[in-house]
Amino acid sequence: MRFLLGAICALFFPVLALAQPVNTGHLTAELISASQGVAPGQTIHVALRQKIQKGWHTYWRNAGDSGEATKIAWTLPPGWTASDFTWPAPHRLPVGPLTNYGYENEVVLPVALTAPADARPGSTVTLRAAAAFLVCADICIPEDAVLTLALPVTEGPAPADPRWGAIIERTLADAPKPAGLTGAFEKQGQVVKLAITGPVLKGADMADAYFFPFSGTVIDHAKPQAIERGPEGLTLSIAPGYDFQSPTPPKALDGVLAVGGKAYEVTAAPGPLPATAAGLGPPPAKLAAPAGAANLGLASAAVFALVGGLILNLMPCVFPVLAMKAASLAGHGGEQAEARRQGLAFGAGVLVTFLALAGLLIALRAAGSAVGWGFQLQDPPVVAALALLMLLVALNLSGVFEMGTSLQGVGSGLATRGGLAGSFFTGALAVVVAAPCTAPFMGPALGWALTQPPAAALAVFLALGIGFALPFVAVAFAPGLLARLPRPGPWMDIFKKALAFPMYAAVAWLVWVLTVQVGSDAVPRILGAAILLALAAWLAGAAQRQHAVGRRHVGLAAAATVLGALAVAGGAFWPSYHTAPMVEAAVDYGPSDNGPAPIVPGAPSDPARLDAQHYTPERLAALQAEGRPVLVNYTAAWCVSCQVNDRLALSTKGVQEALKRNNAVYLKADWTKRDSEIAAELARFGRAGVPLYLVYGAKGGDPAILPSILTEGVVVKALDAAGKTS
Amino acid sequence: MTRFLVASLFAGVAAIASPAVAAPVLGQPAPAFQAVDAAGRTRSLSEFKGKTVVLEWTNNGCPYVQKHYNSGAMQGLQSQATKDGVVWLTVISSAPGMQGYLTGPQARQWKAEAKAASTDVLLDPKGVVGRAYEAKTTPHMYIVDKAGKLVYMGGIDDRASSDPDSLKGARNYVAAALADVKAGRAVAQAATRPYGCSVKYGSAD
Repeated sequence: MRFLLGAICALFFPVLALAQPVNTGHLTAELISASQGVAPGQTIHVALRQKIQKGWHTYWRNAGDSGEATKIAWTLPPGWTASDFTWPAPHRLPVGPLTNYGYENEVVLPVALTAPADARPGSTVTLRAAAAFLVCADICIPEDAVLTLALPVTEGPAPADPRWGAIIERTLADAPKPAGLTGAFEKQGQVVKLAITGPVLKGADMADAYFFPFSGTVIDHAKPQAIERGPEGLTLSIAPGYDFQSPTPPKALDGVLAVGGKAYEVTAAPGPLPATAAGLGPPPAKLAAPAGAANLGLASAAVFALVGGLILNLMPCVFPVLAMKAASLAGHGGEQAEARRQGLAFGAGVLVTFLALAGLLIALRAAGSAVGWGFQLQDPPVVAALALLMLLVALNLSGVFEMGTSLQGVGSGLATRGGLAGSFFTGALAVVVAAPCTAPFMGPALGWALTQPPAAALAVFLALGIGFALPFVAVAFAPGLLARLPRPGPWMDIFKKALAFPMYAAVAWLVWVLTVQVGSDAVPRILGAAILLALAAWLAGAAQRQHAVGRRHVGLAAAATVLGALAVAGGAFWPSYHTAPMVEAAVDYGPSDNGPAPIVPGAPSDPARLDAQHYTPERLAALQAEGRPVLVNYTAAWCVSCQVNDRLALSTKGVQEALKRNNAVYLKADWTKRDSEIAAELARFGRAGVPLYLVYGAKGGDPAILPSILTEGVVVKALDAAGKTS
Repeated sequence: MTRFLVASLFAGVAAIASPAVAAPVLGQPAPAFQAVDAAGRTRSLSEFKGKTVVLEWTNNGCPYVQKHYNSGAMQGLQSQATKDGVVWLTVISSAPGMQGYLTGPQARQWKAEAKAASTDVLLDPKGVVGRAYEAKTTPHMYIVDKAGKLVYMGGIDDRASSDPDSLKGARNYVAAALADVKAGRAVAQAATRPYGCSVKYGSAD
């Protein structure tokens, strides 16, 4: 209604604010007013509006590396005054290796206009201004316009201008203003740390935080600003500008902090950085991650998960349980109905475990834990317990003792005839041990799932489980295939005993994972527990044999049970494992130290890999600021696929040479233990687990994501592409 | 194993020793470079050791450069400096197809027509020299002293404008810095904000 009135007024009252837009070549400029008139002594807002041609831009008050801010010179009647521009928050405009600050499309620069007290109501004032723009695409053109605005002088305050009033008010409301923020900065080696705290930053989304300085010489505009969150604010690591080379370094760092879609004015003084501005790591990624983020729907995520689950059966991760699956399959020879039941039990074991793990994962994340897929193997007690469990399975396959004797009688093994529970158990164990690694297709699907509501997430995990279980269940339901399997017979016993050895290997692997997590102190403890458990298994076997011949066996069985319980408790749970401080030591690289931070002993690295440096977000940002290509390997000791990639593709001469040739740095982000920073980085690329391989180019920008099954050639090619600077 | 260790060690040492792409630092040796000049000769910074060297980034299509050349201010500064024995190298880092890119003959012609008094015009179409100095704008000025150290970097003067009128009363930082160098003083204002068009580097690939 008010708008309609305004429109009618505009038609019938030509005394309304009138301006003539001027096309300067690459933009159209005009003076606009927030009010339809101005009263004597009143201050209203007028503005310089620029409609800029597509692909061109004009500049903020600090233009950045090049360019020039828009200027305006007013010619006003005596007594009238105009303020400086109120500058809306700018955008970053990268131009090759440079970065400018400015505006595209359309921008409104408000100015406060004050009428003198003796302005005569009923008259019309003509405001005149000469505006000078530097408008640039890849080339720059200075353009000028002389603009006028005729404004009626009214008795009292005039109503808002129907066309521009709201736009100017909104621009003023959104413009950066002081918001009670406290800033402190400190030069630490090659970076300036700017810590900003204040109530508006509590709980703010800091993923896109960026500091725009008012001065053009205090920071290097083109370099990325690494973000660290804190409970009360944030700390930015900024590449310093010319001013920090001066014998009299800057006394202030003033500018605009853009964060979470808002912008605030900040004044920072030199001084110690408040502790509350750091400590929470870099911000968790946005849902729409910059690179490789899969913006999947539920249907495609489920398909990805299904395919990923199928492929997971071919990943090196599954080696430890291949033996168990083979044993289970061997038992299928012959009876079809039985085979189907076994297959379904295995499938049920897989699905139930997948859902249970997924449910736990979702619950933990909901509770605020920064965990990802594979979290179950990040806990030393779980790894230790699994190692002992695998040992038990291996000993069973070796024939030291039998499972389910009391129910089924001697002779039926874990995964053979009658062992429906055994098949279920095989499926469960396969998931717990083998699923932590991600396979192709699986990474994006799980990454997507973990950002969704629980029901959708569980659906994706279910699809993954179906994919994983499908081949084995399908075999059980394919009479043609079943017929090809050899009939059960004495060969099965030999086969089973042979399969024990891959299981022993799996035990060795899990013990290694444990030592990576808690250090070499774990070795005597877990091996002691293993020996005790083996003794218990042997005693149990003896009891079973006694039982088979009808002798008393209660004492033996009891001793076996007690020893077994002791072994598991002592090996896995009590006293609790202390995790070794492996990452923290490397985080604090010296500010002037450009050399590689040595890898810390205890990390899961091949001792020959001298040139792998520990990943920290700061290290990555610093290397990027130096313009060096970076290969980041997100890995974990418990991820067998990661280890295979490490040895077959990354630890090769070709990759070494490619790193050297391109002056590239190899960073290893080890997720063997829980690490919220790494989990956040994985999430940023839409992943929930490892492996993930990223190659950042020398020119900065988004990294290339390498496939989860690496070859030397793929890595070398990516490094050579990343090394190109021109 | 040993061979691998040695190779890794070398890789590590090389990573430390090779100059990281770092910003030019005042008081430190200026980044060394080699570039072909308008006449096709290879010139290098090291051949001018013992002389004061001015590096001037230019782009003849840039309005800010035009302000200084059309008024004759740049040529005046160049001829004063070269008379004092200063080596003045004008560098073009525009990539082929970008504004300001000149071939050797075109650069010679431009220098003659502009009556530029610079010692030489260096062609840097790949932007190697520009990136080494982090040249951002045209003009962007650097002064290297007789010992090869960087003593000035930044703008040509304090009037960040392409308006020819802005030359009047401008404080020329390069003239002041050269006077300081000539008198054996430390450069009073050694780093200033460069202004002008962005250097037209090739799309970085």
